[in-house]
Amino acid sequence: MKVHTSVDIGGLTLKNPVMTSSGTFGYGEEYADYLDIGRLGAVVVKGLSLQPKEGNPPPRIMETAAGMLNAVGLQNVGVEAFIEEKLPYLRTIDPAVVVNIFGNSVEEYGRIAAILNDADGVDALEVNISCPNVKEGGVAFGSDPILAGEVTRAVKSVSRLPVIVKLTPNVTDITEIARSVETAGADALSLINTLTGMSIDIEKRIPHLKNITGGLSGPAIKPVALRMVWETVQAVSVPVIGVGGIMSASDALEFLIAGARAIQIGTAHFLDPSAAAHVIDGIEQYLSEHGIDDIRDLIGTLRT
Amino acid sequence: MEETRCGLGASLAHGGRFILGEGPIRHTGGTEIKYARIKFVQKIRLCGRRDTARLLLGNEGGRPDHVGGFWIVKPDICATVFSQRETIKRHFLLTVTVPAYFGEALPGQFVMVRPQGCAAPFLSRPFSIYSVQPRGDDTCLEIFYQVVGEGTEKLSKLAAGDLLSIRGPLGRGFDVPSSCKTIVLIAGGIGAAPLSFLAQRCREEMDGVELMCYLGAGTAESLAGLKRLEEICTEVKISTDDGSRGYHGLVTGLFEKDMDRYTDDTVRIYSCGPRAMLKNLQALLTDNRASCQVSLEERMACGFGACLGCAVRIRSHGGGFVRVCTEGPVFDIRDVEFSE
Repeated sequence: MKVHTSVDIGGLTLKNPVMTSSGTFGYGEEYADYLDIGRLGAVVVKGLSLQPKEGNPPPRIMETAAGMLNAVGLQNVGVEAFIEEKLPYLRTIDPAVVVNIFGNSVEEYGRIAAILNDADGVDALEVNISCPNVKEGGVAFGSDPILAGEVTRAVKSVSRLPVIVKLTPNVTDITEIARSVETAGADALSLINTLTGMSIDIEKRIPHLKNITGGLSGPAIKPVALRMVWETVQAVSVPVIGVGGIMSASDALEFLIAGARAIQIGTAHFLDPSAAAHVIDGIEQYLSEHGIDDIRDLIGTLRT
Repeated sequence: MEETRCGLGASLAHGGRFILGEGPIRHTGGTEIKYARIKFVQKIRLCGRRDTARLLLGNEGGRPDHVGGFWIVKPDICATVFSQRETIKRHFLLTVTVPAYFGEALPGQFVMVRPQGCAAPFLSRPFSIYSVQPRGDDTCLEIFYQVVGEGTEKLSKLAAGDLLSIRGPLGRGFDVPSSCKTIVLIAGGIGAAPLSFLAQRCREEMDGVELMCYLGAGTAESLAGLKRLEEICTEVKISTDDGSRGYHGLVTGLFEKDMDRYTDDTVRIYSCGPRAMLKNLQALLTDNRASCQVSLEERMACGFGACLGCAVRIRSHGGGFVRVCTEGPVFDIRDVEFSE
């Protein structure tokens, strides 16, 4: 039975709902030896800033139970170097190319978006609002609904591309941020980014991460991510992309049933670079076995 | 007959892509490929890290009607443990049967390993390759490691027949110019592992090369890899922190006594061991002209350059961070910023 897995994410059409999560997939080419990238619905690349960013000093990562902490520090080549050095490869692959962006100020977000308007081969933007607003004393854009809305508006007002806004879970009520960002014009939302966490070396009595805290990802965060996706789907009308601890097709299906239009796979790639291919196969198999010929008939069918 | 060159993920105009996701091709001239559409391979040519090939897709009668190119993917391998044994206390020699392409591994390269189907600990662990030997159609890969935490503890319980997930060979190996006459190896503890592989290759490929090894450990009982090094090297000098065998002190102290011997272009120094040891060595070599490469380690998640977890600050590269797993693990000692 032929199953249809194509989904529409606010104007971006994907051949299947499986995307990569920003920060785990480099700029795509890093994976060329390890999996058939062409199978993915979309590649979401490492977050870009206006200027290159060197990232945090090591140690940057620490394993946890069912996951890992990272304090990589948004290391990236900068938007200009990306366009010149990384985008050419991405133009040769079949999946949609989503470029993740972040800035130190509302105005910087707008500037990066404007630069990417002229970049051939970019299919959508994903806006990372989980980073600190340097101008406002380091409060994360994504933890303030007003700031989150301002960033969204700054990007939407200049960009010709579909704009996905990626939400942080480190807030009291993610639906408040979600609604504000939707009102400001986001074409879609992706959630969640990492949960802030910490780990300590009991012999040296220092944090395992040089940065002290870091972002927790992996299976440990899946229940939180799933709950937030479910809450957000009920609060907004724009498509929601589910991210957080997805390791298998079964995990992905939970998010789809909860109402996510698409999903992203991140940390799973470190354990198995071909994880995304297995997830795509598993989703297709589930649809086939359950006699569902279109994935849209599965999305949001949670019974409560 | 038309020729199409396409990379990963591309589809031929005439229908169907033919990307290999099942496993590696054997580069021995053999043409067994696990993919239904492909009838036979005309030629395989190694091209950097990617293998390109011209394929002839035949129809029922065997007449070729399409020609295409593709890249071979190397997904994680499910490998079988051949044997494992504890050598000195808490040190294990693990032998795994892996596909033939691991035979191309270079000294200094490493693999990412996890017991198959094991959810905890979460991440794979990186290990230097200790040796690779062909065995029939396959390769025998040896890893020599010390149990230091949860991951190595779990690994040490595996026995013949158990399954492992392996990724590799990864990273950049040691550079050894053929003009080299003397190779100095300075090993601290389990740092002996990659240096032993290097010594073995040099002994096999460089006639008459002098292999001088300085091996240091905490105590006489923890001199890792000593036996194999003694078999390969011209001479092995030993140091122990507690003086229970050989020179009483650090291995860099032992090396320092001989340092004046190693000052010209025909000498190459290679070292691996604790950070503090490498930092000492860097200071010692400040006024010495001999080239020295070190193999570093850092916590890793992916091991192939995607996560940026294993950063090290390098003095060239504009003084920024590079990846131990990809730009390394081998670096010129003078280039490493140890004081981060």
